[in-house]
Amino acid sequence: MERQIALWGHRFTHTDIVRFTVIASLTLSSILITAITLAQNIGALYPQLFYFPILYATYFYPRRGIILAGICGIVYECLVYFSLFPDTFALWSATGQAVLFVCVALAVVYFTNLIRVSEARYRSIFENSLLGVILFEKNNFTIRLANQQVAGMLGYTVEELSGMTFAEIFFSHDFQRRFFEHLGSGEDIRNFETCFATKTKEHHWVNLSWSRIDDTIVSCSVIDVNTEKLVRQEAVDSSTQYRQVTENSPTGMVITDHTKILFANPAFSIFSGYTPDECTGRDLADSVLDEDRERFAAFAGRWDTAAPVQDRAEFRFITKSGEIRRAVLYFTPITRNNRPAGLINIIDNTEWEEYRERVEQTKERRREMMRAVAHELRTPLQPVLGYLNLLLQDPKSFGVTDETRQILERCAKSVDQERQIINQMLELSVLEVEETGLDYSVFSVRGMVNAAIANGGYAIKAEIAIDIPPDLVFEADRQKLSYVLDVLLTNGVTYSKTPKKIWITYRGSPTLPFHRLAIQDNGVGITETQLDEIFKTEKTGSTDSLRQVIGVPGRSLAIAKKYVQLHGGYISVDSIMNIGSTFTIHIPKKRPDKGDHHDA
Amino acid sequence: MRKIVVVEDDQPILDLMEILLKKLGYEPVLIPNGLDALNYVRSEPPALILLDIMMSPLSGWEFLDRLRTEYNQREIPVILFTASPTVPGKMAELHDPKLGILQKPVTFNELKTAIQQFLG
Repeated sequence: MERQIALWGHRFTHTDIVRFTVIASLTLSSILITAITLAQNIGALYPQLFYFPILYATYFYPRRGIILAGICGIVYECLVYFSLFPDTFALWSATGQAVLFVCVALAVVYFTNLIRVSEARYRSIFENSLLGVILFEKNNFTIRLANQQVAGMLGYTVEELSGMTFAEIFFSHDFQRRFFEHLGSGEDIRNFETCFATKTKEHHWVNLSWSRIDDTIVSCSVIDVNTEKLVRQEAVDSSTQYRQVTENSPTGMVITDHTKILFANPAFSIFSGYTPDECTGRDLADSVLDEDRERFAAFAGRWDTAAPVQDRAEFRFITKSGEIRRAVLYFTPITRNNRPAGLINIIDNTEWEEYRERVEQTKERRREMMRAVAHELRTPLQPVLGYLNLLLQDPKSFGVTDETRQILERCAKSVDQERQIINQMLELSVLEVEETGLDYSVFSVRGMVNAAIANGGYAIKAEIAIDIPPDLVFEADRQKLSYVLDVLLTNGVTYSKTPKKIWITYRGSPTLPFHRLAIQDNGVGITETQLDEIFKTEKTGSTDSLRQVIGVPGRSLAIAKKYVQLHGGYISVDSIMNIGSTFTIHIPKKRPDKGDHHDA
Repeated sequence: MRKIVVVEDDQPILDLMEILLKKLGYEPVLIPNGLDALNYVRSEPPALILLDIMMSPLSGWEFLDRLRTEYNQREIPVILFTASPTVPGKMAELHDPKLGILQKPVTFNELKTAIQQFLG
């Protein structure tokens, strides 16, 4: 800032003082020359001399210039009056000259004012513009002028920039070359994106538009797009990363801003039928079937909470071609470009659902068939069994002889055996097809064992040793476990060698998660091949030979195994040939999934 | 003599039941369909009902439901007399203390025990 001096209540710069001195010198010189010319009667007058101080003063100080023109006019006229009075022509001429001084001054003021206004406007735009502006020479690219915006953008001062060439401020030769190619086209260019180098040699993205002011100067506006460009680039980088991570994923993946899709992987594109470009910007909710929209809105509503958590739900979607597909959505909150976003995995389970429905239909058909088969097999047996029982209950009243009775008894035995086989087959079918529940209760194990021995009359058939703590209780389905025990006792009794002996022993311990109830016999043992067969629901070998071996008709061991499995347990078998076999029932001490079963 | 209503659409079984129930000392009332049986039970409540499940037009389940809810007959013991293997599972869900089950075919002794469980 130039120093200022206060004089007569006004503030003047050094430049002003120099100018005043020049103006005063020129004015005084003009007055003196005119006075000497008149006094010496030289002849020719040069009033044009006054125009030098008047023009000079008017250009720099319009108001004072006009005053000076008036003063010069008066002085000039006074000099002429004193010297040439009463020469009328000379007097009129002097008056006209004085008026002309003022007129010239006014004209100069008017025109310089016009120039000043446009210059001020231009300066104002140039200096206060939010855009950067650079004026450079077309021929050697020297920067003539750059405003503060450009200077601030690149970390230079305005003065530093003014001495540089335009080529120097590009980040690399590539950017420089592309700029000159465009400049060389001779046309005014708009929105040319390029990269400048800052003073610290970092890149700074700008958008240039330029036009030629005249033959030598080019005006170039510079818009700062660095932040936007970096954000855009980061978004592109992120999208590239997401693309790389997700493009080979077999499941659909989308990144969303709430429900608006920001990115979709190829698998989602295939799922939805829309191209990846069509997916971007779509609302995911638009692809959800109308009936599921409300549920989807509730699901998506949970994403907007302050701390969204992982979530999953199943919805039906409608594809571009109108096909309805089912999918499970897994929502994971993520951050994308410093903003919260959602990563949604979409697992298409349409085929799985269709398969499940087919399985259900198959199950239902099996149930139907089972009911029909059961009805058709069991119902006709009822009169046969009933009448046989009736005849055997009271043979004399029906005139049945002893010999006939023996025949009828054999018939009844066969019918009963057939009944058992049918019942077991149907029970196994039920266990395979139906969701069989368990009727849990807490009961005494000793009580159950004693009841099973009594009901089956096993105490008569074999010597039975029981080693079970008297206060031991199980939490299980008593009826089903009784069946299991009955099957294993039948097996044991059938197999034991005379003298038949059965040991029923509790082998649990407080540290084990399972109760273990072992039923041991002193039989011939079971070979490994037979071990594989005895629990199978479908018998591969001869039923007769198997029955001879294991002694239990049909599939009762398979049913027993299923019953124990329903409890979450299992049956193990240890066998030593000609020493005996031990069947151990393992039942969890803690009832699994307590909520899934009802108590009796 | 205590009456036992047998609701069964299979005539050979009805014939058998008539003989067996008489032999056990009860008065059998044989009705071959559920609707007639409901009407009969409403007018003359029996001591026990032996109920087949797979019948038409009224299935055993519908009969039982109407008997218990519409006719409010909750005290009459009903023994489901069925060949279907899925009945025990459904029966357990009803938690009806006056409900028993006999899976066809039954022996004379099984029938006797099941009835005596309710009628003593």
